[in-house]
Amino acid sequence: MTLAVPTLTDAFLAAAAVLVVLAIAVLYRAVVGPTMQDRVIAVNVLGTNTVIILALLAVALDSESFLDIALVYALLNFLMAVAISKFTVKRGDVI
Amino acid sequence: MSLLGFTLAAFVILTAVATALLRDTLAVIILFAAYSLGMALLYTLLLAPDVGITEAAIGAGVTTILLLVTITKTTRPGAEEIFSAVNWPAATVSAGLAAVLLSVVGAIPAGNFLGGTTPVTGAAGTPGEGVTGHYLAASYAETGVHNTVTAVLASYRGFDTFGEAVVVFAAGVAVVVVLHRGDFV
Repeated sequence: MTLAVPTLTDAFLAAAAVLVVLAIAVLYRAVVGPTMQDRVIAVNVLGTNTVIILALLAVALDSESFLDIALVYALLNFLMAVAISKFTVKRGDVI
Repeated sequence: MSLLGFTLAAFVILTAVATALLRDTLAVIILFAAYSLGMALLYTLLLAPDVGITEAAIGAGVTTILLLVTITKTTRPGAEEIFSAVNWPAATVSAGLAAVLLSVVGAIPAGNFLGGTTPVTGAAGTPGEGVTGHYLAASYAETGVHNTVTAVLASYRGFDTFGEAVVVFAAGVAVVVVLHRGDFV
């Protein structure tokens, strides 16, 4: 019986899987809190995590269009964090 | 699906349950954004990048802002405990509905998630082969779009999508007219 040699693609997919497991760990902080600042930071970390996972998937599955999604997320994640922070600091005045 | 897919599905389910059970509305909005991150990744992993990019734009960007604007117009109840009590009758009805939907709509055989290779409806050798095969073979020649899903959404049923946009625009105009205000927020 011969063992399958792990390829570079497998390595990238494994790295993405590890990052998803870490995302579940960060999710604990987002759910339990206790303060709203903890949750905002947690979701921001999740967003950065998502961008990296998308980039790894783009390399592993060899499809450049995934990088576009990663770019959209990198932009919108920032916007989301700013909006929630602004709401928390100055309640009732988002825009 | 791979190990990555299963972990991602677990993440999505965890965020969805947390969104349903959390008591504080602002925390729910934040968790819903996390749910959207997971869904976009899952769509991308299932090779539907256009749906993923839509989920990224709508779920993380627009929905969060709209929900935040909404809760600024309402009052927030004081939250002593983190989770609200589960409404068991409602939860039972929801679980039953999900089970019925899964059994009726479930075009994908459950064994496929565990490594089975049962062909899905529309795959080669099943009754839907003619329709799927036509789009897979001819969509690039007919529309010039590489991704077949995008070709169907934006080209074959582009007029339909245009109609949806008109409906949303008409609804927005109607709201502005009824409220006698020129801005949405």
